[in-house]
Amino acid sequence: MSKKLIEAENISKYYRLGSLGSHSLLEDLREWWAGKLTTRDAHTESRQHIWALRDINFDVYHGEVLGLIGKNGAGKSTLLKIISRITLPTTGRISGNGRIASLLEVGTGFHSELTGRENIYLNGHIMGMKKKEIDRKFDEIIEFSGVSRFLDTPVKRYSSGMYVRLAFAVAAHLDPEILVIDEVLAVGDAEFQQKCLVKIKSISQEEGKTILFVSHNIQTLRNVCNRALVLDRGKIIASGDPETVLASYIKMGHDQFLGTDYTVQNALPGNEYIRVRRVEIAPNYLNEFQVIDVRTTLDIFFEFEYKVEETGELMVNLQVFSIAGELIFELASKNYSFGNGIVKGESTIPGNFLNDGLYYISLTFVRNSSARLFYLESCLSFNVEDYKDSGGWYSGKWAGVVRPSFPLSLKQESAGI
Amino acid sequence: MEKNADWQWEISAHRPWFRFNLREIFQYKDLIFRFVRRDIIASYQQTILGPLWVFLQPLFTTLVYFIIFHRVAKIPTDNIPPFLFYLPGIIIWSYYSDCVTSTMNTFQNNAYIFNKVYFPRVIVPLSSILFHSFRISIQLLLFLGVYIFYVMKGSSLHLSWQVLIAPLMIFITACFALGCGLIISMLTAKYRDLDNITQFILRLFMFAAPVVYPASLIPEKYKFLFWLNPLTPAIEIFRSSFFKPEPIPFSYLLLSLLTTAIVLITGIILFNKREIQIMDVI
Repeated sequence: MSKKLIEAENISKYYRLGSLGSHSLLEDLREWWAGKLTTRDAHTESRQHIWALRDINFDVYHGEVLGLIGKNGAGKSTLLKIISRITLPTTGRISGNGRIASLLEVGTGFHSELTGRENIYLNGHIMGMKKKEIDRKFDEIIEFSGVSRFLDTPVKRYSSGMYVRLAFAVAAHLDPEILVIDEVLAVGDAEFQQKCLVKIKSISQEEGKTILFVSHNIQTLRNVCNRALVLDRGKIIASGDPETVLASYIKMGHDQFLGTDYTVQNALPGNEYIRVRRVEIAPNYLNEFQVIDVRTTLDIFFEFEYKVEETGELMVNLQVFSIAGELIFELASKNYSFGNGIVKGESTIPGNFLNDGLYYISLTFVRNSSARLFYLESCLSFNVEDYKDSGGWYSGKWAGVVRPSFPLSLKQESAGI
Repeated sequence: MEKNADWQWEISAHRPWFRFNLREIFQYKDLIFRFVRRDIIASYQQTILGPLWVFLQPLFTTLVYFIIFHRVAKIPTDNIPPFLFYLPGIIIWSYYSDCVTSTMNTFQNNAYIFNKVYFPRVIVPLSSILFHSFRISIQLLLFLGVYIFYVMKGSSLHLSWQVLIAPLMIFITACFALGCGLIISMLTAKYRDLDNITQFILRLFMFAAPVVYPASLIPEKYKFLFWLNPLTPAIEIFRSSFFKPEPIPFSYLLLSLLTTAIVLITGIILFNKREIQIMDVI
């Protein structure tokens, strides 16, 4: 077995919810005073407190690509942040050998007033590269990014595509022993995403780098990883060979989830920009059993709080995945320049379109067509049942991803041959 | 579980209570200078007067103070030409106040970076102190210019040997500002309401330093308290070395060194203890 590079032992992370960030001195003093009077159990789970990670143990070996998958809130980001030394674990320790570079985002620290050239250096240094190293790789970076003509233009004049390409180009030329990658590939056009994946593969296979890769996309993980971990509610529930592990992950989500109103529990998923209040699928049932079948039209509603300091354009992207993690289709709204406030969205998936099977929906909130504000993963899922009308003859499963009912008719032209 | 001694690094909740890892900071020296460069370039982008603002700020402030504190309030200036009297005080004070303000906002202003990547957080305050040091160097050239102008005009000014320790005073000011800033940054990152209070206190604190009045105005019984503030010797030594024949006693200097050391070490300890935990509350 190859050399162990990272060893994580009993990693747990305890978070305070709700009052996060908005804590005032007075509240804390009051709590401290209350704590003086009654001895309280500091680490119990309650509505305000949560264990984001609980006793996580894993090892990373030299040269492997370890995939990490889990739903929203499973603890993926927390684990990544701990490995990246952005936040500390509450208990446990991670030890390792070799330089780690974390790509939780591309273009961290890019300054819009500075030129492309300046930003390559700025971002490179932030990611831990030395000046000599950047000098040496500068031409390669430029070539990879394809923005050489605009090198001395402030990046605020860049198109969003150019910006992302330049940012990824710097990231792709980091030279650590261990590379930690988050779902950064979700931005950019399909061609560029493909280019990134190819680059990641070559980093691991040709340069022998160790990669810890976090994604929600089963297909990508299947392509890239040689080992996978599944996180669920702060615990590792499966690990090992990607095929087996991913299959168990797929099975996990085998129930229909037609919506929720997050405001009821006051636990709105989101971040400083987006807080999702409600998601819902409203099927227009055609039968009294209230079952979604292939003919059923599905109305989708969502509602979120939108808050940004600078005005910009907001776009929401709705993706429908099959249970195997294959993207069936995605819808993009137009760009809207909304101010802060509550935004409602709706869409419709027509009947006679999807084949039977289990599907899930993810929402991405995108700003200025480039920056992902928030990704609400698998927030809805629905099960489409087969429907056979009385005249049907075929009893097996219809083949194909979609099942449209386009007209197909036959007519006899002449009688007798 | 057994400890493996071969690991190069370890992440855990335990941190030594005092750690100022110079080697690690040195490894990031490129980043420090890049941040300074970014701040210099970014602060004059899309301004018409550009770098001239470095001069204009202290000049305008001096002009206003000259009118208010000299002409209207008639506060004495130790027989030093008032314009020359105010200028170094204002330059040193605004250096201190800029350094404190930028250091105390380290976490709020850089949360977007700190949330995505690790580097020693103290890099950010260090680089902003360097940036302001760059500014004060230029401003001190302005002061020298004005000083030479007055000398040529024939004002009787005494340049003393203490001029040699004047740069040390700037350094002490920087250390004191860094210490104050680090302490405040820890408090304000967690409690936003303290932000407003500290802004206010900082503004008032200017009057605790001899910016608009000479130290000689302070009554004897408050002298000790007054000289405890490292900004007092910083400004006074600066003034005396350029304008007055009699030097400032060394005991005062030692006192300010002591205060600065205490504040700076407290700042580093607090910062070191909380720099990563603080990310969970921002």
